Amino acid sequence: MKSLAGRRRLASAFRYACALVTWGGVLLLGLLLYHVSRQGVAWLDLQFLQSFPSRFPDRAGIKSALWGTCWVISFTAVFSVPLGVASAIYLEEYARKGRLSRWIEINLSNLSGVPSIVFGILGLVIFVRAMALERSVLAGSLTLALLILPVIVIASREAIRAVPQSIRHASYALGATRWQTVRHHVLPSAFPGILTGVILAVSRAIGETAPLIMIGALTYVAFVPENPLSPFTTLPIQIFNWSSRPQQEFHHVAAAGIIVLLVVLLLMNATAIYIRHRLGRNTGR
Amino acid sequence: MKEPILQTIDLSISYGGIPAIRNVSLSIEERGITAIIGPSGCGKSTLLRAFNRMNDLIEGASHEGRVLYRGLDVYAPDVDPADVRRRAGMVFQKPNPFPKSIYKNVAWGPSINGYPGNLDERVERSLRQAALWEEVRDRMDESAINLSGGQQQRLCIARALAMEPEVILMDEPCSALDPVSTARIEDLMFELKERYSIVIVTHNMQQASRVSQHTAFLENGKLVEFGETQTIFTRPLERRTEEYVTGRFG
Repeated sequence: MKSLAGRRRLASAFRYACALVTWGGVLLLGLLLYHVSRQGVAWLDLQFLQSFPSRFPDRAGIKSALWGTCWVISFTAVFSVPLGVASAIYLEEYARKGRLSRWIEINLSNLSGVPSIVFGILGLVIFVRAMALERSVLAGSLTLALLILPVIVIASREAIRAVPQSIRHASYALGATRWQTVRHHVLPSAFPGILTGVILAVSRAIGETAPLIMIGALTYVAFVPENPLSPFTTLPIQIFNWSSRPQQEFHHVAAAGIIVLLVVLLLMNATAIYIRHRLGRNTGR
Repeated sequence: MKEPILQTIDLSISYGGIPAIRNVSLSIEERGITAIIGPSGCGKSTLLRAFNRMNDLIEGASHEGRVLYRGLDVYAPDVDPADVRRRAGMVFQKPNPFPKSIYKNVAWGPSINGYPGNLDERVERSLRQAALWEEVRDRMDESAINLSGGQQQRLCIARALAMEPEVILMDEPCSALDPVSTARIEDLMFELKERYSIVIVTHNMQQASRVSQHTAFLENGKLVEFGETQTIFTRPLERRTEEYVTGRFG
């Protein structure tokens, strides 16, 4: 057995190693943000938000990409959240825990690890070609919905599983049906966890480029989507497009685009945290 | 003997093929308190949960034999388990209030079952019956989680009473409570037994002898002896019972 002093040294060494890794990560992120904002802030103004892309850097704007992202992400959420949460409820509260349910569980984990471009290929074959949706908002959001569905199901299942069994028993013992138990007790208790999972999943979808390029989302769009069948572009595609141009100015425009993307993400997360906080208070937790 | 309100006939229950109770037959009279005692793992809780079909919730549970509620087979194919549970309130080992307000905890049961009367009155009456009203009347909107353990357990009793059941099943209701809270729950049971049929599973032999009129002694899933509490504790017929109640084993 090691001496007490030796074990103490090991314990503090581990502590410092953890601290180093954590702060190293934060520092790196900070540097990245600093770099991006130094390049981009000067280009960020109302004109940038209100203009369509242009081949002149000082007239280029992000309007079509911003609106495209809003359209695509809204539809992605509309498709994936109800489906994902409902699947999680079914798998946790209704389905028998047998071989089939374990098989589904394994495949869900596998699916959440599949590279997004594979989902792009799937989207191209099914939504763009077979369903003839073309390069529309609908095709893009359906593809992204497929991509994040496993993440939502897994996170929701975790949250539902974390609800203590004693709450369910209390509910059933009062003569509640399964649905009443789920609706009044399981879902409210699991809601914060489900919301966290949904936000993580949707945040992932916002940043995706590959599957959308795969299904043929446009890179130069000088209009805002008018309906779910309009062609579109999104923020990451636009950023990718700018940063791949040779002119230095466009790289700065791309940095400004990154800032917009980050702000959209932060706004979404902040809304989710606010909702979680409000609802947490109402259920008396 | 009065007409039994609950009755088991040759009841066996197993979990995933492993028997928990075997061929238990007993009759529980209307009103009064029946205690189920026995060493850990003897099947006391399994027997209790058979009365309101809570074993249905455990995957792999199966049963043979019959459970009768006023002569009606609880496990008959046309019986909805929710209907059985409405008539038999249950109080669990660990207080398990819903993470909602005190009011909602009590009101929820009647409201999901479409109670037509005045819900506020029903909540107050149930809380009074559970001897909790005076302590919580001014903070009905507070979360039940903030109550003490003993108060939470009385809230759970009030929640069960709000359904106006005929039977109250209690699964070691005091095992997580301190002696003062335990005494309050026992006083409460004493009052409730005038109106309700209470079945209580307990580890605590003094508790069984204090509160119950009838006692069933289970061992290894079998009913060893069932009779008047006084008899069981003073001159039981079986040697196993005597050894257990005098504390020589278990």
